[in-house]
Amino acid sequence: MKSHRWFTPWALVLPALIWLFVFSIWPTLNTIRLSFTNTKPLGGGDFVGFRNFVDLFKDEQLGYALLNSAIYMVVCLPLLTIGPLLIAILIQKKLPGITFFRTAFYTPVIASAVVVGLMWTWLLDDRGLINNMASSLGFIQGPLPFLTDRWLVLFSAISLTVWKGLGYYMIIYVSALGNVPKELHEAAAVDGASVVRRFFNVTLPSLRNTIVLVSILVSVSALRVFSELYILTGSKGGPGGQDMSVVMLIQQYARGFYGDLGYASALSIVLFVVTIVPMLVLVRINRKANDQ
Amino acid sequence: MRKYAPGLAALAAASMALAGCGGTSQAKQPGSEAIAGEVSLQTWSLTPKFTDYLNDVIKGFEAKYPGTKVKLVDQPGDGYSEKVLTQAGSGTLPDVVNLPPDFALPLARQDMLLDVSAVDDTLHDTYVAGGLSAFEYKGLNGTWGFPWYLNTDVNYWNTGKLNANGLDGKNPPKTTDELFEQARILHDKSGGQEYLLSRKPGVDDFTRAGIAILAEDGKSVVFNTDGAAALLDKYRDAYKNGYMPPTVLNNDYLGNSKLFTEGKVAWTTGGGNSIPSFEKDNPSLEGKVVATPSLDLPPLYVQGLAVSSKSKNRPAAVALAKWVTNAENQGKFAHLVNIFPSTKSSASDPYFSMSDGTPASDAKVLAFKGLETAGNLQPYEINGAMSDILSQQIALAIKGDVSSKQALDDAAEKINLMLSRG
Repeated sequence: MKSHRWFTPWALVLPALIWLFVFSIWPTLNTIRLSFTNTKPLGGGDFVGFRNFVDLFKDEQLGYALLNSAIYMVVCLPLLTIGPLLIAILIQKKLPGITFFRTAFYTPVIASAVVVGLMWTWLLDDRGLINNMASSLGFIQGPLPFLTDRWLVLFSAISLTVWKGLGYYMIIYVSALGNVPKELHEAAAVDGASVVRRFFNVTLPSLRNTIVLVSILVSVSALRVFSELYILTGSKGGPGGQDMSVVMLIQQYARGFYGDLGYASALSIVLFVVTIVPMLVLVRINRKANDQ
Repeated sequence: MRKYAPGLAALAAASMALAGCGGTSQAKQPGSEAIAGEVSLQTWSLTPKFTDYLNDVIKGFEAKYPGTKVKLVDQPGDGYSEKVLTQAGSGTLPDVVNLPPDFALPLARQDMLLDVSAVDDTLHDTYVAGGLSAFEYKGLNGTWGFPWYLNTDVNYWNTGKLNANGLDGKNPPKTTDELFEQARILHDKSGGQEYLLSRKPGVDDFTRAGIAILAEDGKSVVFNTDGAAALLDKYRDAYKNGYMPPTVLNNDYLGNSKLFTEGKVAWTTGGGNSIPSFEKDNPSLEGKVVATPSLDLPPLYVQGLAVSSKSKNRPAAVALAKWVTNAENQGKFAHLVNIFPSTKSSASDPYFSMSDGTPASDAKVLAFKGLETAGNLQPYEINGAMSDILSQQIALAIKGDVSSKQALDDAAEKINLMLSRG
């Protein structure tokens, strides 16, 4: 019954394998190699052992960046996993004017990150809309330093990420909700289950894989945040560089004629490890739940 | 003899090729070889605005050297350093390339540029000293580009704001101390609504204050002095007292110029051609902006034309770079846009030294006069990442989170670590 030669499957997957090797495996291996060198864009390349990794421990900005990333993920994960789900359920209802809300929630997704960042900069400026309104209503005496205080900058950026991400993850949930069998809801309703009970006993179990997927996507993008902090801090990472993310730090060291590609590669490896850990944890939690 | 001729010609050709492969031997004089063939010229964000000018210059070159053909490539303004970096890395640098001195330094270090002093012994007779020294670097022997056009900064004041808040628009600050004092008056008289200062200090301010930035060997920074800390303290106190907008801690390069254009602050620095831009972007500034000379040492901004050391047509490349940067062509360019020629003979052109009485023309004349004393205020060894680190620490000090000396020490430590990595 064999209807093809031995190499046919390999020929079919070859383009994908080449793509994977050229754009994923080779760059990854090269980054690991570079992290042990002093490579510059126009020279260097000598083996320096673990010097770049030793320097990482002396870099207090990396400490700030890792802390920022951790906070970013801890805050974004629940907000962007649960919030879009609730909105998705809400906009599924056939209510008057619901199309407006569907559009309104999705609009931030299609707006450029740079444009959104600039808009928020104008909103949060010391003479921006929010400070002016709060001041004219008598809530504050002086402007709140949204763009210069170490923590306010971070939480302003998190707000921006959440605002922009709600619509994106909402769409994923909307499509998953369409796959939840109506019969289950109807059967539960016939059995007298309330709306809340149906949500917890029918909707949530049906969406578990989607929720894990969204959690992974949120975690990874939160740990790799760049645009929001870059724009809100005018590219400098705030006073003392305390509002930098790891990606900003990589960009700071890798750019330009003098880019320190060895050190930036060592930072990239740290980011890779930091990113993969929560992903593995979430996958493991999901697998355990499936086994049960 | 005739039968040996092909062999001798081949030997001669091979010798010339070997000489051409000499990389940095660079001992040829212009004129020793025929100037002919195709040569590429890369400019930075000059088209379409100056396409006609560039075409005229190229046409003139091709007419002067029959048999030459110039291929013009203009790169967009954004991402130029990345573009040049890619060209350099892949060995496709154009024959003649527009580079500012900070872009030229890393290329010169890697032997990718021609030492133009080895091929032109009239450099010092032709170009102003400041323009030439911008392409001479510590630890490298040579001149790594022909200076092209120059610019500097002057001060711009919003006299409407000064006059309305107890200051004299005809007598704006002339020193840094006066600047801080008038910033206080403006702030207090306006009930905290107006600002004069809107930028935090940087390396250039340290240089203006006479503080050395780099050690003699260029391998470490030495700006973390008590003098620099005292300067930072002035800014810290001004920030604390509300004389600067809080977002100044995040500002980017165009920060104070943007705020000035928006009418949010009363002082900025800018090139000699800034008044028309201010008035175009914000017509309410019309008639209110006056220019004064730089407070201390004016900065010197230099653009240059470098020749690739790997150029396959070096004689034509050198001739083209000299042609574009000669007094006549630079003079024509400076009449089109407010830049200044780097050629000594252009100084006698009254166009640069005589004002027609308008504020914009006054500003141009001030800038031209400022060039006499202008200098490079930021060593080219201090790259973007190092500037960012210094900027972050200065922001921390101005905010009052750490002492000025501590911030400078921390910045110096990090920058020295980066310099030690080579």
